[in-house]
Amino acid sequence: MEALLLDLAVAKRFDAFALALETTVADNETLVVVGESGAGKSTLLRLVAGLERPDRGRIAVGSRIYFDSGSKVDLPPWRRRTGYVAQDHALFPHLTVFDNVAFGLRAAGRSPFDILTRVTDALVRLDVGDLGERRPAEISGGQAQRVALARVLVLDPDVLLLDEPLAALDLRTRAQVRGVLRTVLATLPSPCATLFVTHDPLEAMVFGDRIAALEDGQVTQIGSREELLARPRSPYVAAFLGINMFRGRIVSRDGGIVRIRTAPDGGELSAVDPGAGGAEVVAIVHPREITLFRQAPGGSAQNTYVGVITELVPEPPHGERVRVALATQPPLVAEVTDRAVLQLDLREGLQVTAMFKATGVTVFR
Amino acid sequence: MKLLVVRVALSAAVATLLCILALPMISLLVRLSPRELLHQLAQPVVLTALGLSLETSIATTALVIVLGLPVAYLLATKEFTGKRVLQTLVEIPIVLPPTVAGVGLLLAFGRAGLAGGALKALGIELPFTTLAVVMAQVFVATPFFISAATAGIASVERRYTEAAATLGATPGYGFFRVLLPLALPSVLAGAAMSWARALGEFGATITFAGNLPGRTQTMPLAVYTALQNDLAAAVALSVLLVILSFTILLGLRFAPWGAAVGGAPARPRGR
Repeated sequence: MEALLLDLAVAKRFDAFALALETTVADNETLVVVGESGAGKSTLLRLVAGLERPDRGRIAVGSRIYFDSGSKVDLPPWRRRTGYVAQDHALFPHLTVFDNVAFGLRAAGRSPFDILTRVTDALVRLDVGDLGERRPAEISGGQAQRVALARVLVLDPDVLLLDEPLAALDLRTRAQVRGVLRTVLATLPSPCATLFVTHDPLEAMVFGDRIAALEDGQVTQIGSREELLARPRSPYVAAFLGINMFRGRIVSRDGGIVRIRTAPDGGELSAVDPGAGGAEVVAIVHPREITLFRQAPGGSAQNTYVGVITELVPEPPHGERVRVALATQPPLVAEVTDRAVLQLDLREGLQVTAMFKATGVTVFR
Repeated sequence: MKLLVVRVALSAAVATLLCILALPMISLLVRLSPRELLHQLAQPVVLTALGLSLETSIATTALVIVLGLPVAYLLATKEFTGKRVLQTLVEIPIVLPPTVAGVGLLLAFGRAGLAGGALKALGIELPFTTLAVVMAQVFVATPFFISAATAGIASVERRYTEAAATLGATPGYGFFRVLLPLALPSVLAGAAMSWARALGEFGATITFAGNLPGRTQTMPLAVYTALQNDLAAAVALSVLLVILSFTILLGLRFAPWGAAVGGAPARPRGR
């Protein structure tokens, strides 16, 4: 049982939408916040950092209250102990890498010896120990992002706020920095809760002890990655996780199998009868449940669809699994191995048959 | 044919403007032989005026920076009621004839001025003192610094000041370690422009501070005075001023932050 660290309950209105979130993040836990751009992810981090003010609510870390609209507490950013890493790293261009990392310690009035040892240690920990004398303009994007991490970690923050820390990097660098970041988050020396904002499903799976989906400022689902995978509660979450999710209604029942008509596409699928209840249901088909054929084999699968391949997307990190989007009714996404792609000679525009069993469909209300 | 007309018109415009701008400079520079120039510059009146000009204009620049930076910071980073008014107020001296500024200063800080009585009670008498020269220069030179510094500070991206704040820097610490260093090119350009403007100040000075050699007679005033009886001395002083102004501008242009000069929104009007 971990002690609660970050206690968050905030609301803020904007012209276009209202942001509202209530959750807690424990010591050394990472809550990944996913959502489309404009959903309020960055704003959430800025509220915790003190760069923006909630209309109402409470932000506390342990016994330290950052913000409380009730008792009119509002600590300025420099008195909160947050480590905020922006997407574009925002390293000070006029300072060397060393001085960038030393900035917070100097602002806190630490001794030169303390600063030297801590900064050196932080730079080495992030594998940029030899860059101390360089200027931000003289290092690569991946190095800059690591320096930005060192700059906040050297201060032992209570809360780590990472705003799409890998988004600005190219694919190869991203994989490297992702590895470094994983190690760092796993070996934080002091208690620290992490809020990690991303729109990359892989990052959400890799980093998220828990995942919160933010849609138009509202949390539509929050839970462990297993919970989200098993029961995505909104089409966005399902699509984000790469799951086929359909809203529909049961139109017929026959021997333990139900027929569901999906909306809005009007397709149909068979699933195991979920038992008594309303007709409105949600059906989920994991992409791995779907098998693809060049020719329809004519077998026992209850769900058979013919359609054209609209997209082939190799899955990060190495592409040994490939996501195949199909123009079927309803539209499906299958996930196959790269070998299957070669054997079947799958390519965009090719017509294939997709099959999955009724038992491969998860139905809930 | 049409093209030719355009070309001729353009060339004529450039040539005319060059004549108006360059001919006076050239006339000043060729009037005296180098020997004569040096001889004239060695005159005590000239040296005294030069010393006083440097002294007062440097004091002015220092004062303008110390007083102007907080104002520029406010204008660049904060929203407050009366911001437009303050902005207009600090820009007025750019368009105000300096003699009017001088009269205003006289009516404010002169013996019979609004604040004159209070100053007298404190034993301070401003008119016809070196301090009055500095005040006149501050009045006319401040806007150039404030507009350049405000633009410079406003152009520093917020992500840097926000990063500083989340790293534990108070606004003051962040100002001196992040905001000011990043805005430094514009701030220095503004300071240089203010200095140049102070160096050339004439109207407000002669109205408010008078024309007393050694106390309030700066170089532009000395030029004016010398012109009445000693043309050679006037020319020598003028040449010195041209060279000084030219050096300041050239220095700004070729400084590492040279690009910032174009960003300085206003130029001093020499007098």
